[in-house]
Amino acid sequence: MEPLTRYLSSNVTPGEAGDMLWITIYILIVFAGVSVAVICMNWLERKILAHMQIRLGPMRVGPHGLLQPIADAVKLLIKEDVIPAKADKLMFWFAPLIVVMTAFTLFLVVPFGRTHAVTDMNIGILFMLGASSLSVLGVIIGGWSSNSHYPLLGALRSSAQMVSYEIAMGLAIVAAVLMTSLQTGTGTLSMIGIVESQAAQQTWFAFQFFPLGFIALVIFSIAMVAETNRAPFDLPEAESELVAGFMTEYSGIRWSLFFLAEYASMMAVSSIAVTLWLGGWLRPFPNALGGHAWDVAFSLVPGIAFLGLAAMCLLGAIRMPKVGALRVQTVGLAGFGVVLGLVGLVMLLPGVRERVQDIFWFVAKASIFMYLYIWYRGTFPRYRFDQLMKVGWKVLLPIALAVLILTALVGVRQELYAVFAGVIR
Amino acid sequence: MTLGAVLRKIFMVDILTGMSVTFRHQKQADVITEQYPLERPVIAERYRGQPRLAVDPETGETLCNGCGMCVTACPEKLITVTSERDPETKKKKMTTYTLDLSRCMFCGLCQEACPTDCIELTQDYEMALYSREGMVLSREQLEQGPKPTVYVR
Amino acid sequence: MSESNFYESLSDIEPGQRTYLDSNELVLNMGPQHPSTHGVLRVILKLDGEKVLGTDCVIGYLHRGVEKIGENRTYAQFNPYVDRMDYVAAVSNGLGYCLAVEKLLGVEAPKRAQYLRVILTELNRISSHHVWLGTHALDIGAITPLFYVFREREEILKIFEKYCGARLTTHAFRIGGCQYDAYEGFEKEVLKFCAEQAKKIDEYEELLTTNRIWVDRTKDVGVLSAEECIALGATGPIIRGSGVRWDLRKAQPYSSYEDFDFEIPIGLNGDTYDRYVVRIQEMRQSLRIVEQAVAGLMEGPIMAKVPKIIKPPAGEVYVSIEAPKGELGYFIVSDGTTQPYRMRVRPPSFVNLQSLDQMVRGRLVADVVAIIGTLDIVLGEVDR
Repeated sequence: MEPLTRYLSSNVTPGEAGDMLWITIYILIVFAGVSVAVICMNWLERKILAHMQIRLGPMRVGPHGLLQPIADAVKLLIKEDVIPAKADKLMFWFAPLIVVMTAFTLFLVVPFGRTHAVTDMNIGILFMLGASSLSVLGVIIGGWSSNSHYPLLGALRSSAQMVSYEIAMGLAIVAAVLMTSLQTGTGTLSMIGIVESQAAQQTWFAFQFFPLGFIALVIFSIAMVAETNRAPFDLPEAESELVAGFMTEYSGIRWSLFFLAEYASMMAVSSIAVTLWLGGWLRPFPNALGGHAWDVAFSLVPGIAFLGLAAMCLLGAIRMPKVGALRVQTVGLAGFGVVLGLVGLVMLLPGVRERVQDIFWFVAKASIFMYLYIWYRGTFPRYRFDQLMKVGWKVLLPIALAVLILTALVGVRQELYAVFAGVIR
Repeated sequence: MTLGAVLRKIFMVDILTGMSVTFRHQKQADVITEQYPLERPVIAERYRGQPRLAVDPETGETLCNGCGMCVTACPEKLITVTSERDPETKKKKMTTYTLDLSRCMFCGLCQEACPTDCIELTQDYEMALYSREGMVLSREQLEQGPKPTVYVR
Repeated sequence: MSESNFYESLSDIEPGQRTYLDSNELVLNMGPQHPSTHGVLRVILKLDGEKVLGTDCVIGYLHRGVEKIGENRTYAQFNPYVDRMDYVAAVSNGLGYCLAVEKLLGVEAPKRAQYLRVILTELNRISSHHVWLGTHALDIGAITPLFYVFREREEILKIFEKYCGARLTTHAFRIGGCQYDAYEGFEKEVLKFCAEQAKKIDEYEELLTTNRIWVDRTKDVGVLSAEECIALGATGPIIRGSGVRWDLRKAQPYSSYEDFDFEIPIGLNGDTYDRYVVRIQEMRQSLRIVEQAVAGLMEGPIMAKVPKIIKPPAGEVYVSIEAPKGELGYFIVSDGTTQPYRMRVRPPSFVNLQSLDQMVRGRLVADVVAIIGTLDIVLGEVDR
């Protein structure tokens, strides 16, 4: 019981408290949570993309294809594991591991709440940037070690792309980090510190110095798509040009590791965007809808959201065609709805809802970016390589620089103004 | 470039119009997927599917008079007919009839050539089989006509 | 040239002087199994990094000897085979073949049959452009337009199925006219489709025409000047995209095309974007033709007097029509028997494909798929 009370009474992350037991538990929870989120994301991407393309998407494995990702995972795991005869076997084996490890390492410092992070590093955002750029190594090694033309071209593309978009991304991040120093005078690189300074300034950085913060967010949200090799910047794995890019020779479990890493790093960069510009775990409208009553009302939202999902499932179960072949699916969907409903009810309990709402708001904001990823993929053609470079270096980089300089000037202007006001007074 | 074009470019109007199209189409009503075999398509009346030989509905006798027009009409030479002359009525009578469905391209020329409207292409389109031999249809199979496939689970 | 010799001829370095670290070009086999070579086209690319130094097209993976089959079948029997050359525009193929044999026989289809032929061929042109748009956009990375165009294509195929009983390889026309008369409600259904399709084309344009990525990917890619087009023998939307107003429906009207009022859309720069715009406009013009043809559809016979066994007089004939992909010509030599002595098809895709090398040289790998897409080739027609 002692660890539990110790945990419940603590108001810092386990990493800061030096609590090895809870660090381990947190790491396991994050690992499992991200893996489950990848499965959900896989299903959601198929479904949303399908509906954008006036299709239904998976419908056969489980009700509305809910079990399709699991079926796919099983298929990938039991599939024959092919290593090309002339591949560099050690490197070929190593590349997906690098990519997966970097993608999951990022989640060490992602703050799902004030206490809901594995640890709080004082260089948190730098750590995120540094670790995420390691994944390009895995991609290059994977492309090179396959000893095949298409993967090689894909790897070369990704090396140039991921490196050059990191610059625009970094400048946009610096603009946000500058904003953390507005009131206190000293900025912070800690992920938790950044969110707390947004709370202290009573505005999200997306709306600070409007439109500067917002432009920085837009730049980041474009650069992060390129950074994670997703459409319309998915040149390293452009299926219509390079077959599958650096993953061409990969199959089975190794391929699924690349897949896992892709989605995990998508979530990681989305959570950077949420932390830096959208107030991390803070609930929306803290000023306009402030006060204790609204606090309670917003803390009920997670439970209600889950109850809503449960209602959707049950409605779907009722609407399911009454065919004998679909009876199992109907029961399954209803059961899934009941489980979701129970989770929703637990989330409404007073002790639970205060601790859970942070995570809920964080995930909800991050899922906006995940939806955008799918939406982009459904809508846009793919850039060509030189155009990609042009967008990165000639469009995003100058704008990011301008935003950075303007942010600095506007921030200093306020302080200069304060100094002048003091002198006059 | 006009000012309007510049503004449209800065505010990414082109990108947003495209995204609005895909967003609009997400509603359930737009889905056009047909969940075969749960939902089955409506087959047109003139559809050229699996061939069959028509029989007189009252007497059950074949309409075929063994003239062999379909044999000459078939571009792939898939049809073989043997016939013999009835000694009493002095009329030709079809004895055996085979049609190799495996190379049939459902052009409908046999149907058009038939003077008695005996051979006809039906609306059945589910002809998958596990063996090539099963594709060679005998007179009995052709007269019986295609059996609708029933899916059980 | 044998295959190994071919690869060596691509490299600038003598075989004896090769070292481990030489910087010779990369030879990349694109196809025959590749997501965006539209079938079994194999393009051997000689690359410097991503830049294309030269190409070599290997065709013939889908060769079925259609022309030779034609010499071993009677005239009526060969009719279903022509559907299988350009299988996304089967009706156009059938029309060209029927017109050629009719010219050989010296008969002309009745007016009603001609109008029916125009309606179906123009619908087929739209559906062929649907397939082109979907796959072209898919090659360039936009995955959604494919499903939107196939939704409308499905409507056209349903009309075909109701009219002639098949969706893809239609075998819609016969020598001397049409076998099938319009089914009940044909006119209404076609007009309803036309009204809806106009709105759907706006939707495709919303997705692509102004989209900056689409414009970047297609503008100034695969430029062909009018002179180059003529020298290469390119026809159809390729030559019209380069600004040459050449359309056989206007230049030498067949099957009553002179009755209809329509325009020939042309481009200015001869790049991929212009060809895209030309084809989109062609879809709109085809809708106009279909509406006029349905309005003018008169009563009457649908089949000319053609003997049951077709035995054209000895002689030769070349008839070409404007298929969705360009000039589709049939050259038939008759020796007075029931089978043609020589059958030769001039497929538009095959001729258009030879401009690939000129367009691709000096571009990037990503442009290769865009250019293959803009050529709108069907390998069934290239290889025959």
